[in-house]
Amino acid sequence: MIPAETPQAADTAMSLLRVRDLQVHFVARDRYDRVRVARALNGVDLDVERGEIYGLVGETGAGKSLTAHAIMGLLREPARRVGGSIEFDGRELTAIGDDELNAMRGDRIAMVVQSPRTSLDPLTRVGEQIARIHRVHRKTSADEARARALTMMQAVGIPDPKARMQAWPHQFSGGMAQRVLIAMALVNDPQLLIADEPSTGLDVTVQAQILDLLKSSVKERQLAALLITHDLGVVAQVCDRVGVMFAGVVIESGPVEQVFTQPRHPYTRHLIGSSPDRLTLGRGAVRAGAAPDLYNLPPGCPYQTRCPHAQPVCQGELMRLPPGGAHGARCHFPEIGQ
Amino acid sequence: MSVHAQVWHLRVIALARASPTGAVGLAIMLGFALVALLAPLIAPYDPVKPFTDHVLVEPDARFLLGTDGNGMDVLSRTLHGARYAYGIAIPVLLFGFLIGVPIGLYAGFRGGWFDEITLRVMDALRVFPSIILALAIVSATGQSLANVVLVIGMLDVPVFARLVRAEVLALRSSGFVEAAINAGNPTWRIVLVHLFPNCIRGAMAQMPIRMAWAVRVSATLAFIGVGIQAPTPEWGAMIRQGAEYMVSGEWWVAIVPGFALVILIIGFSMFGDGLEELLDPRRNTSSR
Amino acid sequence: MLAIVQLILRRLMLALPILFGVLLFTFMLVRLGDSDPVGMLAGPTASEAEIAAIRATYKLDQPLLAQFLEYARRVAHGDLGTSWLSNRPVLTELLQRLPATLELVLVGSALGGFLGVWSGMRAARSVNGRFDQLSRLLSLFGFGMPTIFLGLALIFVFFFVLRWAPPPMGRIDLMITAPPVITGSYLVDALLARDLEAAWSAAGRMVLPCSVVAIVFAAPMLKQTRAIALDVRASDYVRYARTAGLPHPMIERIVWRNSAVPIITYGATELTALFGAASVLELIFSWGGVSQFGLTAILKADFAVVQGYVLMMSAIAMLVFALSDLLVLKLEPRAHEAGR
Repeated sequence: MIPAETPQAADTAMSLLRVRDLQVHFVARDRYDRVRVARALNGVDLDVERGEIYGLVGETGAGKSLTAHAIMGLLREPARRVGGSIEFDGRELTAIGDDELNAMRGDRIAMVVQSPRTSLDPLTRVGEQIARIHRVHRKTSADEARARALTMMQAVGIPDPKARMQAWPHQFSGGMAQRVLIAMALVNDPQLLIADEPSTGLDVTVQAQILDLLKSSVKERQLAALLITHDLGVVAQVCDRVGVMFAGVVIESGPVEQVFTQPRHPYTRHLIGSSPDRLTLGRGAVRAGAAPDLYNLPPGCPYQTRCPHAQPVCQGELMRLPPGGAHGARCHFPEIGQ
Repeated sequence: MSVHAQVWHLRVIALARASPTGAVGLAIMLGFALVALLAPLIAPYDPVKPFTDHVLVEPDARFLLGTDGNGMDVLSRTLHGARYAYGIAIPVLLFGFLIGVPIGLYAGFRGGWFDEITLRVMDALRVFPSIILALAIVSATGQSLANVVLVIGMLDVPVFARLVRAEVLALRSSGFVEAAINAGNPTWRIVLVHLFPNCIRGAMAQMPIRMAWAVRVSATLAFIGVGIQAPTPEWGAMIRQGAEYMVSGEWWVAIVPGFALVILIIGFSMFGDGLEELLDPRRNTSSR
Repeated sequence: MLAIVQLILRRLMLALPILFGVLLFTFMLVRLGDSDPVGMLAGPTASEAEIAAIRATYKLDQPLLAQFLEYARRVAHGDLGTSWLSNRPVLTELLQRLPATLELVLVGSALGGFLGVWSGMRAARSVNGRFDQLSRLLSLFGFGMPTIFLGLALIFVFFFVLRWAPPPMGRIDLMITAPPVITGSYLVDALLARDLEAAWSAAGRMVLPCSVVAIVFAAPMLKQTRAIALDVRASDYVRYARTAGLPHPMIERIVWRNSAVPIITYGATELTALFGAASVLELIFSWGGVSQFGLTAILKADFAVVQGYVLMMSAIAMLVFALSDLLVLKLEPRAHEAGR
């Protein structure tokens, strides 16, 4: 049971996170000084409610991590947001200045990343790293922050937490370091938790523990969670709803069971069909054709160059996903192949 | 222009735009090299001919950059100095490279006692300030041009050896070498075909910097009075002679060769910088 | 506590072969050429009797190993031989002049170090901005700059043309008496003796040579600091700190602390090289330090002094490396693991 600081008012009327038509471009000059634009995100739609875990899957380069960074306002040149809205708890994040966004990061929106051991400051003791996040956002005293850090370390299941507070990051194993990162993410009672490949690279048994920890944390505190992964197995284990990304577009979205048993988009079908038991994308996935060329995407549906059912109408504007989190796909021919 | 030439034209321009520093550096290097080759043809006077009536003449129409304490034309001497600069830098570089790279390859690949010993020796050499080392050795073994080249060259060996060794070790740990061994390649083939091309990049990027260093050290040695001596038109020796005239106002005797020295060194540095930029484009990016 | 002592002991043990190598080298120095080492040690003006005496004292008619052991034994006792030019012990001569060299190098490198590191960190913060480009340009000029040129050029501009700097002849005006020796640094000793005239003169004479040292040290430090800081800024932990919403000053502190160790390690190497570059400056400015003494001895073939000089410079370099190692040990928790 992870202790919360103050009880949160439960408002389930509106999604906590609403992303609509998010577009991000990479603008750079090549060797011959020509401007080249890679369209990395092309109209991403997603909703995450309190208390639910939304999984975002896709092959490498589909734009999953980029979406997470865009939500947190961490895009750096040459990446630029060129359109779309990001609504968090009723507020439009794209209209907020960086200082205010920075105050929200680590406080109301928190992130857990891949490679936890390298994400910790090598020169600061672990307990202090958790404490300073708390101290910075809540302006508490050093003692209060330290006490809170200790509580968090206990809550995420680190054995002998009092002693381990004084340990250095390099003395932690991958799994333990990830627990520390989770503690750092939860220390300020965030409303939205973004986990970017949190279990990738860890031992299989440790993976399961970390995912369980995440799931229980989210459910107990009614957080909204966005879980990014290339592993369909993780989604099946932990997520409530799932969104499938391809070439910067969420092409299908809905409750996990429905999407996995009755996929509507040709790409989803291809993914689920191609690896029935160990459902993994990216690393072990079979690709039919080359990865999408983000510099030269076709108009309309980005999948049409690989899709066996493509028609001229696919070059027209894509419909939006259905509201309310229902199962839907952004495809003109969702029933084909059922 | 033929199509072939046009393509090369574009490539050169592209490279120059990718790294303007490198391009300028290369231009300087080539310019001095040209001067070195053509010095006897373009120099107005014989560099060691003393005009005894025109000692310490300020730069004028006749002696464009003045004359030194012996009445020799500074311009001609400076132009010929480029020959000595390249004449020392190139053999030194070859020496260091041809000896250092094989040592580094073998030490990194074989490991064992050879590696241990080379490591210890290189560590010990690191402790000496190189200029002082060079001075001491040259003065002890007799002051000649050949000696200077030999000694400075030997000081270059550890630099290349250490660099190549580090690259070999990195390759070894990446499993690249293991795969080659398992595929049944004999040692010499692994070293030559697999290791050498990959390690060479780092070594080549170092070359311009080493040349700059060689030119600087040899000039410094000559300045102190070891190795090359007047009336040889070597920049360091010329600066040595000109130093005593600095306080009395005949600045051109030391400043002109000094300038040539500095520009050539900067040229090498710029070219080295340019190479680094091309080989590691990540250099100028930040997460900010 | 025990771990630290163990680490220090291990470092000392690793230093022993280097020490051995250094001794061996300086020993071989006078035996490199064709000439008889006796001639090199005794000088051209030595009489038959003097030569015989030297041969006996240093056991030069015995096998090489015995000679080396004798040499090592003497060095361990502080006997570095005698200069045939001045007839005084080498060690005394060197120690007397050491403070001047240290003053020059330490002051210059402190200035250059601050300048280079600060600029490098700043350049990394605003990559490809105006400050970055300007400082990279300046660094390019300073990198590999021959001290012979820079020293002479500065003398020309600031002494001859502008008449701002005092003449490059020694550490203090010839007409002013030097202050009583406490530290060996004219400036410090003059201040301690409340001799403001001497202090002013000494300070004035330090400006040009220390500026050269500072420039020559700042350039590589800037370049390397910038590269290190860029690496740190691109690291996973800095990126993560940003996602955690840590304020900019805190992130800058994280960047600085993680850059410090590699900067110190690099700085130590550059500092030892700096002693070499500064040696020429001592000649140009008649500074009266060990390097001027040692370099002059090289020209005059006073090889006992040359041996002692090389030995002393190596000892200084080893000391610099040892100090930087200790500093790193203190700052880096990862260095406390075994096998480093």
